[in-house]
Amino acid sequence: MSKKILCVPLDPVHDVGIKIIKNALDKRGHQTALLSPDLSPEEIVKAAAKENYDFILVSRTLGYGVAEMLARFVDMLDSAGVREKSKIVIGGKPITPELAAELGFDKGFGEHSTIDELIAYIEGREIEIKSVGLNKTKKNFISGYDYKFNNDEIANLLDAITEKFIKFTDNKKSPGIERAKIQNEIIQTEDLSKKEKLYEKYYALCDDVIVQGNKEKSFIKGVREVTDVELSNLKWFLDKTQPLNPNIIQHDKKHPAIFKFLGSGCPIMDIIHAKVCERYGIDGFLIINPSWEARYEGLLQGYLTHENDGTITSFDNIKLMRKNLDNSTLLTVRAHRGLNTPETVLLAGLAGADLVKINLVYGSLGAGTDPIRLAVDGVEAIKLAAKYNMPFDIPGNDELSGVPAWKTLAGLLINVMLGIKLGAKPILKPLFCYGPHIVINGMMEQNFIDYNAAKIYALRTIVNAPIWPGEPIAFMTQSEERVQSANATSYHAALAASLEVDAITVASTDEAYSRGPICITSRIDSIRAISDAFKFIGNANFKPTAQADFFTEDLIKKITETLKEVERKDNLTTAIYDGCLGNKDDGAYPGKFGFGTVI
Amino acid sequence: MTALEHIMDAIDIETYIICKDENEGKKLALQLGQEMNLGEVDIMYQEFDGYGMRLRLRKYVYKPGNVYKYLQPSENS
Repeated sequence: MSKKILCVPLDPVHDVGIKIIKNALDKRGHQTALLSPDLSPEEIVKAAAKENYDFILVSRTLGYGVAEMLARFVDMLDSAGVREKSKIVIGGKPITPELAAELGFDKGFGEHSTIDELIAYIEGREIEIKSVGLNKTKKNFISGYDYKFNNDEIANLLDAITEKFIKFTDNKKSPGIERAKIQNEIIQTEDLSKKEKLYEKYYALCDDVIVQGNKEKSFIKGVREVTDVELSNLKWFLDKTQPLNPNIIQHDKKHPAIFKFLGSGCPIMDIIHAKVCERYGIDGFLIINPSWEARYEGLLQGYLTHENDGTITSFDNIKLMRKNLDNSTLLTVRAHRGLNTPETVLLAGLAGADLVKINLVYGSLGAGTDPIRLAVDGVEAIKLAAKYNMPFDIPGNDELSGVPAWKTLAGLLINVMLGIKLGAKPILKPLFCYGPHIVINGMMEQNFIDYNAAKIYALRTIVNAPIWPGEPIAFMTQSEERVQSANATSYHAALAASLEVDAITVASTDEAYSRGPICITSRIDSIRAISDAFKFIGNANFKPTAQADFFTEDLIKKITETLKEVERKDNLTTAIYDGCLGNKDDGAYPGKFGFGTVI
Repeated sequence: MTALEHIMDAIDIETYIICKDENEGKKLALQLGQEMNLGEVDIMYQEFDGYGMRLRLRKYVYKPGNVYKYLQPSENS
């Protein structure tokens, strides 16, 4: 039934909010009247008393002394008999239900109230329960790509490089590959005595520190088992909590999926952070493991927590995260560092992870693994990624060492071609960063848009593949100052949206803070900034200057030259050792972990 | 359980301290942590501008690997 409503902007100037509400009420068929701003309380009371209104809606922002004025205003309405025939409602940013009641109003609506809630109240309907649960669908940003190369010269070079490389790795073995096979059998078998024998075989291929941890529970400093009580407490907490009013970061369908890192060291802390981030709209997470995990042959087993950076990628830890994340949330596991690459991919696949992170070139040049070892392990890992239907993302973080972007992008493209040949689905992850080579050569002196945009344009010109800038975006542009850090991330996120990439990895505002773990408020702050940036850019775009086209052409030319140089070598590992994809002058060195272990 | 123990991980304090130079600002920042019964705090960010210092301080209530009291049913049911 239609209601008669008086809309009152009890304010010297502002009446925008009440006008919006009036408009919504009119559309619902209610009879509304709107007073002008800057009337005295006496004039308003007179107008309210003159007609029989069902509701008097008062809009007011609180300032010094306003609460007292509002209380007096309600008293005046009372004395004039308005209270007997009308319900008096207040709305405004700082209004809470408690404050409205204290001031004598029948109802109050504040900053977090919606117009629908107000209308439901006016119409005497139950105010709808706020949305509970994520009710979200898992994003699939791979399906629209056919991996066709548009640049024949580059496609032919990549074909030649990867053919030689696959032949080079054929029939080669490593302890990493063997362990992955044994681990698979351990997980598949129910026979305990067989399991025990398999473990002995597995331990024979592990470093002592891993054997001691697994057999004697004598762990590396800072590592301990998560207790059953801790696991049951986590379950208790998650069973009784749910996300309320989930946020959607993307304001337009072209906006990318958003990933964040997890890797506090503790899987329980990671999960609690992830649950809050899911509510704020994060679409996926990457588990970052401790750097020491890469150096040892073999992986620790069980539910494990760690006091320092990086969460241990045991089978149980990955399963625990997957189980407790929302079904719609994507999970990526970092595999390409160190000596456990095939096994990590296997565990990720069996634990239900959605993606894995593998870059054979960066893993060798920037992450310490011997190129031959990672070549052999990496090929096996990509095959496993294909087997478990996990796309693999290829981060170009070698650029952070000082490697020029074209060499990094050439490395990414080699991984892409390799992935295609091995039946997997690769994802390009160029950096959005202020990397050393860019700084030294002044590529971002004019702006931070052109060079980042050029990387995307160059890759798109070469191949039709998904692009997911990272890792995280805005790398080396953030400071320890919270607002600056959030801004830097949000500008880069808006650029990513503008370039219509498929996904981005984003940092927290603690990105540049290295003296302690990332805290939840810093994660929320950066998400809020990105959400606002996406709203700001909407379906519009940042426009790169003509310089971006010059950068794009230059990148394609230099990527081609780099690939020619790689192709002239015996195989990819020789090219890596010889510095074709980054040398010591660039700040890149072939890794040593696992040297001499391939047979 | 105290309110502090309900904090998920860390408490940050952002403020502006009037001080004569950066050294005094830092000293006062650490003193502030003590006066607020937070013990030792980390200065995450500082910027002295001639009048005083823009500050952000952090105290971790729980670090990864700790036992999080807010997850204990008996303490928080």
